[in-house]
Amino acid sequence: MFFLLLVIGLAAGACRKAFLAQKPSTNLLIPNSLTVLQELLDNEAVMNVTPALGEVSADNYYLPYTIWTSLDIKEYNAYIWAPDLYEGQGLVSDWDFPYQQVFYANTVLQGLTGIQPDSTNQAQWNMLKGWALFCRAYAFFNITELFAQPYDSASAATDLGIPIRLGPDINVKTMRSNLQASYAQILSDLQQAEGLLPTVIPARNLNRPSRPAVLALFARIYLSVGDYKNAGLYADSALQTYSFLLDYNTVLPGYFPIGDTMAEILYQSNLPQPGNGNMLEGIICGCIIDSNLLASYDSNDLRPSVYFLKQQSGTYTLKGSYSGLVYPFSGLATDELYLIRAECSARAGDTANALNDLNILLTHRWVAGTFTPYPIQSATEALDTILVERRKELAFRGIRWSDLRRLNKEGWNITLTRNLNGVMYTLAPNSELYTLPIPPDVIDFSGIQQNPR
Amino acid sequence: MGVFKPAIPFLLVCLMQSRFAFCQASIRITLTEVNAPFSKVMDDLQLKAGVTYLGMTSLTQLSHPVSFSVKDATLQEVLDLCFKGQPFTYKMVEGAITILPLETGGRTAIRGRVVDANNEPLSRVTVQVSGEALAAVATDDYGEFRINSHGADPTLIFSSVNYETQEIRAKAGKEVIVQLKDKISELHEFVELHTGFQDVHRRTTTGSFDDIDNELIFRRVSPNILDRIDGISSGVLFNTNIAQGTNQSTITIRGRSTIFSNPNPLVVVDNFPYSGDINNINPDDVESITILKDASAASIWGALSGNGVIVITTKKGKLNQQPRLVFNSSETVGGKPNLYYLPILSTNDYINVEGYLFHQGYYNSIYSNALHGALTPVVNLLFQDSLGQIPDAQAQAAINALRTQDYRPGLGKYFYRPSLNSQASLSLSGGGEHNQYFLSAGYDRDLSNLNRNEYDRVTINGNNTYFLLNNRLELNTDLAFTASTTVNDNPGVTNVAYPYAQVADAHGNPLPVAYGLNQPYIDTAGGGQLLDWHYRPLQELQNADNPTRLTDYRINFGARYTVWKGLDIRAYYQYGRGSSDNPNYMSEQTYFTRNLINEFTQINNGVPNYIVPLGGILEESTASYTANNVRLQINYTDSLSRKGLLNLIGGSEVRDIEGENATMQLFGYDPNEEVGVPVDYANFYPQYSNSNPAQIPYNDTKLGTSERYLSYYISGAYSYLGKYLLNGTIRRDESNLFGVNENQKGVPLGALGLSWHISKEGFYERSSIAKWFPFLKLRVTDGYNGNVDRSVSAYTTANVNPTPNSFDAINASIINPPNADLRWEKIHVVNFGVDFAMHNDQFGGTLEYYLKTGLDLIGESPVDPTTGVTSFTGNTANIQDQGVDLTLHANNTFGAFRWNSILLFSYVRDKVTKYDQVQGAVNAYLSVGILNPLLGRPLYSVYALRWKGLDDSAGNPQGYLNGTGQLPGKVTEDYNSILFSPDLSNLVYKGPASPPYFGSWRNSLYWRQWGLSCNIVYKLGYVFRRTSIDYTTLYGGNSPGHPDYDRRWQNPGDELHTNVPSRPTPILATIQSRDNFYQNSEVLVENGDLVRLQDVQLTYDFSRAAHPKLPMEQLRIYLYANNLGLIWKANHAGIDPDYVSATPNPRTLALGVKASF
Repeated sequence: MFFLLLVIGLAAGACRKAFLAQKPSTNLLIPNSLTVLQELLDNEAVMNVTPALGEVSADNYYLPYTIWTSLDIKEYNAYIWAPDLYEGQGLVSDWDFPYQQVFYANTVLQGLTGIQPDSTNQAQWNMLKGWALFCRAYAFFNITELFAQPYDSASAATDLGIPIRLGPDINVKTMRSNLQASYAQILSDLQQAEGLLPTVIPARNLNRPSRPAVLALFARIYLSVGDYKNAGLYADSALQTYSFLLDYNTVLPGYFPIGDTMAEILYQSNLPQPGNGNMLEGIICGCIIDSNLLASYDSNDLRPSVYFLKQQSGTYTLKGSYSGLVYPFSGLATDELYLIRAECSARAGDTANALNDLNILLTHRWVAGTFTPYPIQSATEALDTILVERRKELAFRGIRWSDLRRLNKEGWNITLTRNLNGVMYTLAPNSELYTLPIPPDVIDFSGIQQNPR
Repeated sequence: MGVFKPAIPFLLVCLMQSRFAFCQASIRITLTEVNAPFSKVMDDLQLKAGVTYLGMTSLTQLSHPVSFSVKDATLQEVLDLCFKGQPFTYKMVEGAITILPLETGGRTAIRGRVVDANNEPLSRVTVQVSGEALAAVATDDYGEFRINSHGADPTLIFSSVNYETQEIRAKAGKEVIVQLKDKISELHEFVELHTGFQDVHRRTTTGSFDDIDNELIFRRVSPNILDRIDGISSGVLFNTNIAQGTNQSTITIRGRSTIFSNPNPLVVVDNFPYSGDINNINPDDVESITILKDASAASIWGALSGNGVIVITTKKGKLNQQPRLVFNSSETVGGKPNLYYLPILSTNDYINVEGYLFHQGYYNSIYSNALHGALTPVVNLLFQDSLGQIPDAQAQAAINALRTQDYRPGLGKYFYRPSLNSQASLSLSGGGEHNQYFLSAGYDRDLSNLNRNEYDRVTINGNNTYFLLNNRLELNTDLAFTASTTVNDNPGVTNVAYPYAQVADAHGNPLPVAYGLNQPYIDTAGGGQLLDWHYRPLQELQNADNPTRLTDYRINFGARYTVWKGLDIRAYYQYGRGSSDNPNYMSEQTYFTRNLINEFTQINNGVPNYIVPLGGILEESTASYTANNVRLQINYTDSLSRKGLLNLIGGSEVRDIEGENATMQLFGYDPNEEVGVPVDYANFYPQYSNSNPAQIPYNDTKLGTSERYLSYYISGAYSYLGKYLLNGTIRRDESNLFGVNENQKGVPLGALGLSWHISKEGFYERSSIAKWFPFLKLRVTDGYNGNVDRSVSAYTTANVNPTPNSFDAINASIINPPNADLRWEKIHVVNFGVDFAMHNDQFGGTLEYYLKTGLDLIGESPVDPTTGVTSFTGNTANIQDQGVDLTLHANNTFGAFRWNSILLFSYVRDKVTKYDQVQGAVNAYLSVGILNPLLGRPLYSVYALRWKGLDDSAGNPQGYLNGTGQLPGKVTEDYNSILFSPDLSNLVYKGPASPPYFGSWRNSLYWRQWGLSCNIVYKLGYVFRRTSIDYTTLYGGNSPGHPDYDRRWQNPGDELHTNVPSRPTPILATIQSRDNFYQNSEVLVENGDLVRLQDVQLTYDFSRAAHPKLPMEQLRIYLYANNLGLIWKANHAGIDPDYVSATPNPRTLALGVKASF
């Protein structure tokens, strides 16, 4: 009956508009409300994934020959630092995923300009704006760590940076900025976000950033460019707000020791899931933990049993369970902050504070009562130890590649080698291969300048 | 193309003859006749001067023989000589010689008008008064005549070349109106066509229609109505080998005119588009099917018409008809499918390959992996042997025992059976003076050849029409109900590839196969605390319980009120509702449930804790739709003047289809009490076999859809003198496209058509071609059809994801970047047609040429991924189809034999004329399951890589890279450089994947009560890619291999006689690209041409006329054999091109009886 009435109404034109305004499908949305904008940012599969190729190319593991030969071409080449990484294949997820995050963030930022906040939703509006800016900065930073050369303040104004996109319009042509401008944008996004985000970590929604996460990201970024003063300050500020460390003596034994939420986490992100052309197949399915790394853990150190799994053959594979989820965690957490603050203190010559941070961390990682502070006197000795502990604590967290770039630039001379059925591959310190090539499809469309390899 | 060659000279002759007809008066005749019978002289003149005789030719029986000799005489002179002294005379009327009796006596004037069956005026009809000589006249352009007679109430004789001669007793002073019956084209020109908006005769249309009558629908035996048009309609192609993900429809009408939008033809059932499952229509309830093919025919359906329209009209009663009861029943039996059709590696070879891989260390990482992946029995035996767990001899003996096994006999025995399909229907129809009715009930039961799979369907139909108020008001009600159950317990696969798997032991007990987890692990895992973890395909089959129950009903109300003669108002309403329910109950005995419970079991101190509760799992999905359709329409018919006839319809239509889909899952389900147990979806639990944390899968979803249309249309036809017809249609559709501006929600589409009934022209009738083809009609139409794509939007749109994120928050994905310029897809169609027929329709046909251009098609354009999206969907593509449809039919009688033959020939070639997304690499055009159009090529094309042969040292395939012009390029074994080359000239276009030439030849032979009919179908001009050995899937245990393996390169020199690459060492990164190259190389592309004997039907009719004791009016017994097999195929690989990677449909034989009381 309603329908018949409707028809009569249509004849008069009154209901015509309403009749045709019905959504074709109930799951369709237009991003013009705070609810929908928040749902876009809550898309963890899009927003909380970081690139993988750095970890694939780093030295935490090696692959048996048969596993290596079963890999997808990009991962296969990345493992041996082949100059032609993609062999013409486009759609490189390590580039496309972060820029998809930038697109989502820009869509949200544009959506927010169309919504006039009032007293009831000002807090949510601010949170969403800060969240989007944080995600944009995080994505830009992760791209920089792979596709731009290591930061050098002397040449940054002329070095090639990354494309900076500040709006969702897909018709805007892509251009590379200089490295200085790239970092300036990242830092300015973060500064804005800092003032907008809540101060409390959302413990049940760790995919959402908060002020401590902003501070932690600042610390990570400053560390990566070698600005140890600022890195130390931001790590300290972050730890002032949140400094929890989990005592590994309290975690369950077995494969899956940490429950589904790790309380050290400030912001959740992870390396991509294997499959669908993502590039973590080798690490997840059959990598062997580097024996030097493995040997560096003390027998009373609980971390190998939490992070790694012993195979029948005696070798160790990765559990990747720091976050409680199966895919390696790459987000921001307090353990990294302790290590940053310790490193920066050591570099500033403040050995006592450096060791203090290190000791706090390690007492939470060793069997209760077994850890005795390292007998260290000098700041240089402290720095060496801290860097070793940094590698042990943050293995498979997507950080090692960044560290290799930074430390080699300072002259640590770390050479990587791979041995595959007797064939040796090496990656020399400060090699141009530390900067990945821009994907071929991006070059084809935009004509932007390729990185030298 | 050779098939329509005869048409060209035919057309030429037409033109020549018509010129000749104009010049007839000036023709000079040289002729000598000596005492010749008058009829011979008539024939000679017909031959020399092309004259036609009309009138009272019977008078010539009284003629005298004729003698004369003339040279270069005019026709008039010769005729005068012939008729001199004869007891009759002649008159030239419009170029025809009308024989008349000699005139006598006084006059009565009679006036009248001659019309055809469509009430259109007929000119140049000869009118004579019976028994009176010389009183013959011809009708004028208005069909009017005036004749003088001696008698008061004379009998008038009306004759014309194309019409049955008719006699009528006239009354002086009263206008005589005579309707003549068409002689030649009765069958075709007066067929009633249904557009879904009106019922028209073919002669009042200009467009391209195909009609399938009841007899033809009945010819085939199958429960699905659309099956019955397969191979019997020109331009309609049933596609086989459809690859998932390529948006190909099962039926295409005249080629492809969209890329990513809806590719399916619109199906209309009784006035309105059908929203339900087409399987709900019982073919026994269908009276006729009309297929609308060009713009003029289909444009009345506007934005829904782009892929053609199939209009199904159900049976109705007839006025003033005795109740008629029709019973039809048939049983169809079919064989088991041939499981040996798809080639696989022999067990022996397969085991040898496994042995080879084992010694290469290929399985070591899988064996030692903590994931405990399943290994085949042979590989496990090899490990046990090498680890010293069993003696060598025992391992070898066990392996050798497996060498004799083959999984196909067991599969054939336990998974397949002969099919049996039973159909029965009963209908009652009839009518009185003011009403007509039709009632029917049908029952179908189909036991598929997959054991345990079955389908049954009940259909009930009833309609009733009342004619009230002196037939000014017609009221119609119609109810159709269908209930069906589909049981889908047997997927037909065992989920394992190794050819020595056994599904059952000698006693028929289910045996486990290597699937999921490895056997040695399963045997010890959990220490007896877990559920049985083996996978037994036969046990799965026995425990499956997966029915789909469907109900569907349709209610129609229709009313027609005649305001005055020629003007009526119609209103139609249809309510349709259908729902389906698919409860898939997986008991605790099924592998799915046992596996899930085991993975989520935690054993603490020997006590199992079940996170997924014990008991079965119910996965239930439901779907329903509710459709409301309303239409108001005005029909107007009038002869504006006596020369023309106008027919107009106009109206408005509202459609609303609301759909709802939901799925839900219950754990620990007890089917008796229909209750489940709550589970913890939120927390992660380590899985038992690999400790990976996982959540219990959450599958509850709900989705509503809404499809709404508001349409206005007007369609008119004007025929002038019954010779010229002009028609036009305009329709505007508006729909609830999402996020489209108000003014873009609608699209106006329309078409114009013109036809010229050339055989009604005087010059044609006088020409001698008219003797051969007394019926000839030319048609041309031009217009636009449309297509809807509801998946795109002008705004940025997002979709709510079906599952929350790992922190249980609802989240959404952007699916569409904004597109302010979004437009509807349009298809421009131009159609030219010629219809022709011989006397009595002994031979005739239709030839049509068309050009279809899909404009503004929704296509994908690649975008710089830096923008955040990798491709953009919008109106970016064009596609063009060119085609020819030819139908030829012949009806001939030889004594008691009647032979009827129909040849269908279709040619259609589509070409993508605009497409922006060029994929980055060659590889993209070779992948299966992705639609990647390439400019200038058919949408579905087969591309391949150039082949250099195998190299002589290792038997690796070799290809060419970057050839230029005639040069083939560099020979290379770097397959990735070819596969990922951005230079698409490395691709060789091998041909279309759908046949551009296709059709059928159907012959029916009737002798007394016997009828025999067979249909041969053919598909030509296309190619397909055959399968060969793929080492990647063979090594990976994902395929049973291919016997080409036996022809592989093994020693230098083999490359001279084989193209099958050698067995490579198992390095997946390299063999994958090697296999990929070989699979896509030119050597595996085969010609798809085929000729198939589709079916044979044998009937015997008893009628009461012949058998007076027959208890019923009519009885037909029929035998029908289907899928009879190939007659010829072009490829030598033993492959039926309609079944490249599937088993051919087994032959079926049906026996049926149809009785009418």
